Amino acid sequence: MMNTNQAPAKRHMGLKALNRASNTVIYTLLVLISIIWLIPFVFIVFQSFRVESTWQVGYVIPKQWGFDNYIRLWNTDFKKWYLNTFIIAVAAAGLQTIIVLCMSYTLSRFRFKLRGPLMRFMLILGMFPGMLTMIILYRVLSDLGLTQSNAVPGLILVTVASSGMGYYVSKGFFDTISKSLDEAARVDGATRLQVLYKIILPLAKPIVIYTILTGFMGPWGDFVFARYVAMGTSSGYNVAVGMYSWLTNDQISSYYTTFCAGGVIVALPVTILFMCLQKYYVEGVTGGAVKG
Amino acid sequence: MKQYSGLEILRLSKWQRFLYKLASFFVAIPHAIVRLLAGIWGAVKGAVQKIGSELKDIVATFAKGDWKTKTSYLIMGFGNIARGQVLRGLLFLLFEAVFIFYMVTTGSYWLSMLGTLGTTGPTQAYDPIFDMYTVQYNDNSFKILLYGVLTIFFIIAFIYTWRVNVKQNQIAEKILASGKKLKSGKDDLRSLVDDQFHKTLLALPLTGILIFTVMPIVFMVLVAFTNYDGAHNGFSNNLFTWVGLQNFNTMLSWSAGTSGTQSYSATFGEILTWTLIWAFFATFTNYFLGMFVAMMINKKGIHLKKMWRTILVLTIAIPQFISLLYVSKMFAQNGLINLMLMDLGIIKKALPFWDDPIWARVTVILINVWIGIPHLMLIVTGILMNIPADLYESARIDGANAWQQYKKITLPYMLFVTGPFLLTSFTGNMNNFNVIYLLTGGGPTNAAASGAAGSVGHTDLLITWLFKITTGAESQYYLASVVGILVFIVVAVISLVVYSVLPSIKNEEDFQ
Amino acid sequence: MASVKLTKVKKIYDNKVVAVHDFDLEIKDKEFVVFVGPSGCGKSTTLRMVAGLEDISEGTVEIDGEVVNDLQPKDRGIAMVFQNYALYPHMTVYDNIAFSLRLSKTPEDVVYEKVTKAAEVLGITEYLTRKPRALSGGQRQRVAIGRAMVRDSKVFLMDEPLSNLDAKLRNQMRAEIILLRQKLNTTFIYVTHDQTEAMTLGDRIVIMKDGYIMQVGTPAEVFDMPNNLFVAGFIGAPQMNFINTELLCENGKYYVTPFGVKLPVEGEKAELLAKKNVKSGKIVLGVRPEHITLAKGNEAAIPCSLLVNEMMGSELHLHVSTEDETALIVRVPTINLSTEERSSLVNGHKLSVTFEGKAMHFFDPNTEANLLV
Repeated sequence: MMNTNQAPAKRHMGLKALNRASNTVIYTLLVLISIIWLIPFVFIVFQSFRVESTWQVGYVIPKQWGFDNYIRLWNTDFKKWYLNTFIIAVAAAGLQTIIVLCMSYTLSRFRFKLRGPLMRFMLILGMFPGMLTMIILYRVLSDLGLTQSNAVPGLILVTVASSGMGYYVSKGFFDTISKSLDEAARVDGATRLQVLYKIILPLAKPIVIYTILTGFMGPWGDFVFARYVAMGTSSGYNVAVGMYSWLTNDQISSYYTTFCAGGVIVALPVTILFMCLQKYYVEGVTGGAVKG
Repeated sequence: MKQYSGLEILRLSKWQRFLYKLASFFVAIPHAIVRLLAGIWGAVKGAVQKIGSELKDIVATFAKGDWKTKTSYLIMGFGNIARGQVLRGLLFLLFEAVFIFYMVTTGSYWLSMLGTLGTTGPTQAYDPIFDMYTVQYNDNSFKILLYGVLTIFFIIAFIYTWRVNVKQNQIAEKILASGKKLKSGKDDLRSLVDDQFHKTLLALPLTGILIFTVMPIVFMVLVAFTNYDGAHNGFSNNLFTWVGLQNFNTMLSWSAGTSGTQSYSATFGEILTWTLIWAFFATFTNYFLGMFVAMMINKKGIHLKKMWRTILVLTIAIPQFISLLYVSKMFAQNGLINLMLMDLGIIKKALPFWDDPIWARVTVILINVWIGIPHLMLIVTGILMNIPADLYESARIDGANAWQQYKKITLPYMLFVTGPFLLTSFTGNMNNFNVIYLLTGGGPTNAAASGAAGSVGHTDLLITWLFKITTGAESQYYLASVVGILVFIVVAVISLVVYSVLPSIKNEEDFQ
Repeated sequence: MASVKLTKVKKIYDNKVVAVHDFDLEIKDKEFVVFVGPSGCGKSTTLRMVAGLEDISEGTVEIDGEVVNDLQPKDRGIAMVFQNYALYPHMTVYDNIAFSLRLSKTPEDVVYEKVTKAAEVLGITEYLTRKPRALSGGQRQRVAIGRAMVRDSKVFLMDEPLSNLDAKLRNQMRAEIILLRQKLNTTFIYVTHDQTEAMTLGDRIVIMKDGYIMQVGTPAEVFDMPNNLFVAGFIGAPQMNFINTELLCENGKYYVTPFGVKLPVEGEKAELLAKKNVKSGKIVLGVRPEHITLAKGNEAAIPCSLLVNEMMGSELHLHVSTEDETALIVRVPTINLSTEERSSLVNGHKLSVTFEGKAMHFFDPNTEANLLV
């Protein structure tokens, strides 16, 4: 009698201990992961305040602290680059969102004859390396006078114009909104346009914010095409192109810490915005990315 | 090969079953190819038949139609206007007018030059009045090709519109014959926000895609059949011409290049191999490690879930070029890591993170893990939460331990749901320009492979190689175009094969 | 208030699947018609074609004499209640009900009056300021009905409105729909897969299978004289018993011989058989569980043994097995049995049953059609 009662209890204790041990391992790993993932960013911040040298050194904590790098930043073209990027980011966030929403809502809700072929066609288009079209897009922009110092409108145009191809995530979201809501509204007397702005848009807030957020974040990292379009004219650079030029072999020794300071200035607002809207981003990624 | 029925398979051992499935997959490949070809043939046949029936219909409409319809064959929109649909009619008429005007003024020129891509380059003429040479630009191959393509697009659009115009007359006659009324211009406008709302919504996005994606791709595909490069793009020479399949021959032939030590095909093969290796590791290391991290955070009894997640998500927010460039410099010969390790006396000589081919390749893959895991963690977390809890409960009652639960429930479920995602991230990684270019710039240099096609590095992907060809000293656009087409073919083949074996090829309506 | 007429209506999906075949039906003004059938029979598709939510591949739909094929749903004068309620989650109950009125630019005071009146009728006045997610299933259903009510539509469409509710609530709502119908006094088309709902609600029932209409008729008609085996099996619970057997015509009298026992056909059924001049031959005999009685001694009876005894309260459902192991269901009113008899009805108990001669159904084994129709 005693035995039969004790055996499960013992096993229960064993399970608990095992669980505690595995949790300890997991906590250790998580702490380790957090350190690895955060360390480069902590390093950037430290190095941006280093005064004694502008080049890479073998330690992290500055010997002499100061805002020199930030002041130096102010005296370069960085202001202009930052403004350029900001303008592109705002414009792209706005216009791209409209285009992507038009596209994804239509493909989610309307069943027209060319819908299937259209989606297949865009899938195939997406298999071409986008890099390939850079040369001709550059020539077209240059004919329109939208390169070099006028790179900003040119970049906005190109970014926004082909953004319709990136409809997958938000279509995935629209697909999760019950179609019978559309139908009920149409029976209730709403036109398709009214269905869109009275019923669907209020319900699609997470994906609208997600699209705006990704649209806004994209241009901050836009590098290849931006460099090609600006073609060596500093006033047409965005932050990525401009700051990349500081890390070339002949610049890096005098601009390394300035790069770090610039990185902090660029990352700060984007990160804060991102953290505030994190909820929507997570919703978009987890909901839409997989459904596609 | 012996075919097993469903119940017979159940009696095989695990390995036999696996081998059987593997064998049936390969046995099915020829069949799949035949089916694909049959599908293409069917589509072509269908298209020809469709054109035939359209032509027949056009003739029949003309024969049966009244005079309004007949006039519309020449003056588009006439029938619409005559029957009271003024708005539609005027739009047709306007389109026709613009088309004719364009073709007469410039379109015909571009079209006529398309065969040769121009014959007279820039000429210099002495201007006695100003006592100087002036350059006169004549034909410009780039513009001829560009506007030639545009003109062809325009002609196709015109033929389509003309067909619609004919069809409209036919429909209108039918409606009037049945005693009903035609839609007025007001009805048409109203339908643009209602039953035809999709056309309104798609107009802008599709125009953008047509001009800024489709047109450039068509153009660049055509460039692969020309000799367009930096030398044919200057002020003194802006003429290039059709060369047929010559560029493909160059790229795919095994003979050594003119100035290089290695043939193009060998270089291409080398880069393609690394591209595939890279895509494989970049996709699956991220996938499994991301899943691992997500499962750790999601485990019951782990506290501060939100904090761990936020720490990782934070790294997504920071623009990639900052983190990639910074990390790239951190691992450089004289970067933070090497300097620190040397200061601490752990190593004497700098570690060749970027200077040794193997080191560079491994480091790139590891850093990509650092970049990619937060994203994967988010996606996986979303899916994990969707796995019905009762699956685990019933597995536990059946006596499954944690590893068995993972192997039998979590993993199959994940693979099923994320199948398409894995495919897109694989092809996405094949074309992952940013990570490679910002970390290594393609380096270290692969001397053997570098040659006529510019300098090639050990971590160069096809996409960064393409970029180098394009922006390099010689700007061999035609070669870049060939590489681009080959990349497309590789991606398309992989996608087709994977899609044919994926279990989750699903009818999208099933989920709605 | 309007009639609805469907003429040769057909639905073909893109992949060439025909969901509805040549559907012909005329619904009179103020009639309550129920489409019923198993899932995938095309009943919802037909309803949605009337609503304009699904394109009509062929044929015409007329409402009030006007062909509505090319009209948008909003222009057809219909109101509709959806299976999953389809309430707008971001609007309050009041705004949900007022939505259609506001779209048609009704003055706000009229909107208020209509919405509160509808809410009162449905007993949801106290929830008007809540959002749908704060309501129970039954309350949501009421809101959905309220939303359709205020439209003053010519035709009221309901697509399985009760199937998301639990059994008890469903019974209650069913009664309320009957009351609602009396109040609204308009044309109803109601789709359900539940034959009880169909029988209790409909003036006429349209029974569908695989896109075809199997039978159209009043509840009594489809119950008493099912067109074919499918209708006979679908209407009525528990299901009708089907027995492969023979029909004998001897000296102008008809007999059936289930399980080798000769039973006479009586009453109206026998007259009809004679009138139709039906010959002897193989048939499928249909007998409803309530028309099988426990044999009381001397009459010709079929011996069988009891498999399961389900006590339903007012009646017993006896699952029995004949000697050749055919399963039959017998429905016995509890009141007809003594306590003694009831307690003897345990598994394996031997009993014998007989069929009521005036309530038999006869089907052709090949065409499955009712021989009397």
